[in-house]
Amino acid sequence: MGGYAGQILYVDLSSGTVEKKPLDMAFARKHIGGLGLGARIYFDLIKDSPDIDALSEDNPFVLMTGPITGFKLDGAARWTIATKSPLTGVWGDSNIGGFFGARLKFAGYDGIVITGRAQKPSYLFINNDTVELRDAEAYWGKDIYETDRAMVSELKSETGRTGTVFCIGPAGENLIRYASIINSKRHAAGRAGMGAVWGSKNLKAIYVNGTGKVEAADPGKLAEIKEELKAVYEESIFIDALRASGTPAHIDVGSLAGDIPIKNWQMNEWEAIDDIGPSEIEDKIHAGHKTCYGCSVACKKEAEIKDGPYRIAKGPSPEYETVATFGSMCLNANIESIAKANDLCNRYGMDTITCGSTIAFAIECFENGLINESDTEGIELRWGDADAIVAMTEKIGKKEGFGAILAEGSAAAAEKIGGNAKDYLTTIKGMEAPMHDPRSAHGYALAYAVSPRGACHEASLDFNVEGGSQMIPEIDELSADYEEFSSEGRAQLNVACQDYGMFFSCCAIFCNLGAVPLSATQAISIVNAITGFDYTLDEVLQAGRRLWYLKRGLSNLFGARAEDDRVPERLMTELEDGPTAGSLPDIERMRSEFYEIRGINDDGIPRAKVLEKEGLGDLAAILNRA
Amino acid sequence: MGLFENSEKFEEVLGGFFRQLAETPQIADKLLKSNLIIRFNYTDPDLVIVVDCSGDKIDVRPHDTETKATVEMSMTADIAHKFWFGKVNLTKALTRKEMVAKGPIPKILKLLPAIKPSYAMYPKYLEENGYSQYNIH
Repeated sequence: MGGYAGQILYVDLSSGTVEKKPLDMAFARKHIGGLGLGARIYFDLIKDSPDIDALSEDNPFVLMTGPITGFKLDGAARWTIATKSPLTGVWGDSNIGGFFGARLKFAGYDGIVITGRAQKPSYLFINNDTVELRDAEAYWGKDIYETDRAMVSELKSETGRTGTVFCIGPAGENLIRYASIINSKRHAAGRAGMGAVWGSKNLKAIYVNGTGKVEAADPGKLAEIKEELKAVYEESIFIDALRASGTPAHIDVGSLAGDIPIKNWQMNEWEAIDDIGPSEIEDKIHAGHKTCYGCSVACKKEAEIKDGPYRIAKGPSPEYETVATFGSMCLNANIESIAKANDLCNRYGMDTITCGSTIAFAIECFENGLINESDTEGIELRWGDADAIVAMTEKIGKKEGFGAILAEGSAAAAEKIGGNAKDYLTTIKGMEAPMHDPRSAHGYALAYAVSPRGACHEASLDFNVEGGSQMIPEIDELSADYEEFSSEGRAQLNVACQDYGMFFSCCAIFCNLGAVPLSATQAISIVNAITGFDYTLDEVLQAGRRLWYLKRGLSNLFGARAEDDRVPERLMTELEDGPTAGSLPDIERMRSEFYEIRGINDDGIPRAKVLEKEGLGDLAAILNRA
Repeated sequence: MGLFENSEKFEEVLGGFFRQLAETPQIADKLLKSNLIIRFNYTDPDLVIVVDCSGDKIDVRPHDTETKATVEMSMTADIAHKFWFGKVNLTKALTRKEMVAKGPIPKILKLLPAIKPSYAMYPKYLEENGYSQYNIH
């Protein structure tokens, strides 16, 4: 067998103990890796007492790599985390790139299961065989960049090498509901408030140094596949665009399609959009390229602003989602200020999608008189006011004044603000929608509505397939031609995107950007060459389907129901002008068809016999009991 | 068979539109900054058009198969026609090889904001020049 390190760390923060347990290969075979393992482990830990608060010591946190993590392949560096979300109150997971996952495998571990709560700020130190909890008082209060720099520098003499740090910033420490966890300063577990879970556990960071190797079961076959993929990648314009401009390349094509939300989703075209596009980014802030472990796509970019009010040291450049949330959503055409807001979010450790969207929501509240300068400590929140947007971002990071209200997320802020603030919300299950407009591709509406972690374009491959960047020739639904601006066939499409997507993105853990050119045959061949298993397409789809139902069931267990599978009015308002004029997803039809296909009852819960068929009888029993 | 009856008609329609773009400063100025020489290879019906942005003015040259182009774009006439309405999902078209682009990708991507105003121009051009039968409503 290959691919797996063969051990999982179990860390009990309450007792301060660390245990190493072998990874059972039958378990690995069945669930593959990543969230396939992580969600199952999480469920087994909480199923006897599922009524837990996300910020309590009873909420476990499971970090898991996949079998391909740590191999020098394009789009194969990713790994996953799973826990109950403090933002949504339902299932939360995240998918991260960078170097941490590879280094953890090199240290000898496939994953880390964290339970309990430390009595004081702590960090987990991993140096190959040495794994111990250490005092993090010296780092508590430092921002993410400072923490990363300090730990790497201070621990280098002990480990003899530059290690990798995965840490929270002040946002996580202060339990901001959308706090993130970030490794190597730029690779974020952004959504759903994972950082606040760590903050509640007094866990500041995990530092890892690993000097081992991962081995493929069939290195010859793996080399053959890599050779075959060279031509595939050379022909891929999508990969070329990522290499050239990173995810902001989407601004140029997305604006054509009406995919980019403008002015808190009120518009779908904007004359200033090109001011925040890849050409402007290149001219004004671009400072280099970075990548994840083993990946030649290098879609991560660097930014630097040497002077002016938005000065930032060389560091991570804003991704597309960030450019949209702090840019088009706020009618802010100042790319430097967007880079500054990104820098603040990275340092404090906050999700840029929720932060920017929450500020856009607040701007609309301000415009409509629901809040004023006396509420916002003198900051006039207006469309396009870059200074105000940056200032409010910092207030959120500090959880200061009105920033403390916005630090709870827009849904909670709407409750506090009152009036008709809820009319301006763009949340599903409490999480703000990502920057892809369902009026440009109707299936997105369903994908967001039924995503177990709230509004998410990465919870399945629907954004990739319907948006056009990915085509899987072996699966009919994922290679068919769909009529534009139509809801026809989107339920079946979403099901297929979830089943294959759970395998692709969550279990094997291919990157939804860097591995986009792969066919299913190529993806499965890579996993088989690495693990020595002989997965078929049917088997990986089964594993993917099982994971989807498990995540869905966990959200149900935490209280999600059919009424939560809805898309906010703001996203379901027909626009009169622009590329999506007149387009409106038929969410009722799509959801009804989706429920039928998935065997979900009127309450939004998968039927017992459906869960049992997927090997989730224990989940079915608990859901029926509840 | 596609929308256009033959190559001559397609050349008349699209070549005429490219000449109009070449005379529109809002678009032409940005294209000239790119300094690109773009060869469009169309099929069904077959047509080659070079749009040369390397000089002082944009030069539109149908049937030019000799000039060394910096960018080669290949697609059917129907896809091209739809593209100039702004109605092609570019990402999908490129992934599914309905459009094939060869050349410096960053420079090709920079063309997109430059040509955006043309999407509103194309339907008007068709109406004003007696080509309303090709308009997509």
